Amino acid sequence: MQTTASSSLPVAQQAASMPVPGPTRPYGRYLYLAVNIAILIFLLAPIAIVVVFALNPTPFIQFPPVGVSLRWFEKFFASRDFMHALWFSLEVAVLTTVSATMLGASAALALARGNLPGTRLIVATMLSPLMLPAILTGLALFQTYVLLDVGRPTWGLVAGHTLVTLPYVVRTTLAVLHNFDTRLEEAAQNLGASPLRTFFEVTLPLIKPGVLAGAIFAFIVSFDQFPVSLFLVSPGNETLPVTLFNYLKFDLDGTIGAASVVSIVLAFVVVIGLDRTVGLRSYVKL
Amino acid sequence: MSSTATTRPNGLALFILPSALLFTLFFFLPIGLMALMSVLTGNPVVMPKVAFTTRHYARMIGDPFYLEVIWTTIRIGLVTTLVALVIGYPLAHWMARIRSRTGHALLLMAVLAPMLTGIVVRTFAWMTLLSDKGVVNQTLISLGLISQPLKLMYTETGIVVGLVHIYVPFMVLTLTGVIGRIDERLEQAAENLGASPLRAFIEVTLPLSLPGILAGSLLVFALAISAYVTPILLGGFQIMTLPILIYQQISANFNVGFAAALGIVLLMISLLLVIAYNRALGLVSGQRELQ
Repeated sequence: MQTTASSSLPVAQQAASMPVPGPTRPYGRYLYLAVNIAILIFLLAPIAIVVVFALNPTPFIQFPPVGVSLRWFEKFFASRDFMHALWFSLEVAVLTTVSATMLGASAALALARGNLPGTRLIVATMLSPLMLPAILTGLALFQTYVLLDVGRPTWGLVAGHTLVTLPYVVRTTLAVLHNFDTRLEEAAQNLGASPLRTFFEVTLPLIKPGVLAGAIFAFIVSFDQFPVSLFLVSPGNETLPVTLFNYLKFDLDGTIGAASVVSIVLAFVVVIGLDRTVGLRSYVKL
Repeated sequence: MSSTATTRPNGLALFILPSALLFTLFFFLPIGLMALMSVLTGNPVVMPKVAFTTRHYARMIGDPFYLEVIWTTIRIGLVTTLVALVIGYPLAHWMARIRSRTGHALLLMAVLAPMLTGIVVRTFAWMTLLSDKGVVNQTLISLGLISQPLKLMYTETGIVVGLVHIYVPFMVLTLTGVIGRIDERLEQAAENLGASPLRAFIEVTLPLSLPGILAGSLLVFALAISAYVTPILLGGFQIMTLPILIYQQISANFNVGFAAALGIVLLMISLLLVIAYNRALGLVSGQRELQ
């Protein structure tokens, strides 16, 4: 995503400097904007609604809201089930992010620089968990764990999550690797750097933004992951989305809203936090 | 690209091994086992005598109920894809063509914000909007437009609305990339030659973005037919789709063999879609090379 934004920048500047034909039909332009704004409302309104219900004090859906209260947040943070699920989700997401980032980034490096035969097929295979139904990944892993009689361990869940998050890391890292000038590496080697030193001082800093973007995706996808977890969690040790789902089947009060707001805020904090701390520093270095 | 590049794998190629191991143990092996389970009479670990059978597949083909479930899944997928395309295209076009950097960043955030919100949370949002006492019905009643609440939830329409909301960002992001690569001067040339903006769009931009339309549609369709949370919650356990049926076979009936057979059917449909999707993306990159 970052690469698309940055690579489209010169084109945008170029376009901005070109003479722009004035809108010959302003009504068409207004219609275009109106349609797009309606679509944006459709995209964003449900998220706003969640926040409204998290703050609305009535124990059932009521619209328009009657007031503002934090009782659902209190209930959420006081609930042992929800708190346990929240921490378990964070634990799984962190473990998944670490393993998916390490495996995905090294796989991307091998694919871009290793002269492997059949690279296209390998890339397609590694990206396939994105499009193959995640519920099947869950089902297949569940059956395997049952057949091998290993129960439903946390590592089994992390392995499932790693499988569905790895493609993001591979894709973002490959994008950066394909975009960067290999002459930089050649220059470093010509100047006498060993391949290892070239890797750590040239390649690694350059691919860092791509790896980081992949890691952010991996964290969020794992934290929100549902279909794989559905089969692989054990009762009493459930991730937050599964706990929310089970709660939603019977109850529709504001606790879900509060839990939703907490998970949305967490996702944003991770994105912004990672970008600010690691992201900015890597740009400063560049 | 560079002539010095050898065709033999070098040391860096070894970095593929950890991922290869992960995929072998946790992807190919489990899917292979699932395929195996779908043709066995029982669990070979606990049952001493298992035999090969086609009864799980025969059950699916022989019972109109299961064919109906498969058709419902595909129908919901098709409608979702179509609506996501109609809604996603204008937004993608705006994102690809907007000149202000801030505008582009804001649009990107608006598209990504729903993606950062989990599927369960977004489905909850639609339950609060679409239920009998939900936001939509209460607003319409208080405005005096309707006297009885509209039945929006527990219908296929409700499921489609929820699925479109969840998967339209994927459509937008795929289309934005493709539309962004179409040279804007082509449209301007058409307009300079006297075509209306609409005609320039229909005759220039739209045909050039066809590979993106194809890729985005295949992606959304593949995601929509494998959705579980949204159909089950917005369908209120009344509308049966393939993923719901699969989970039910495991959780309620513990019929692992039949669940595996259903899974293989879903897998086959998805594999065909993945192959078609890669072809469509190949078209996109082919087009890029031509430019």
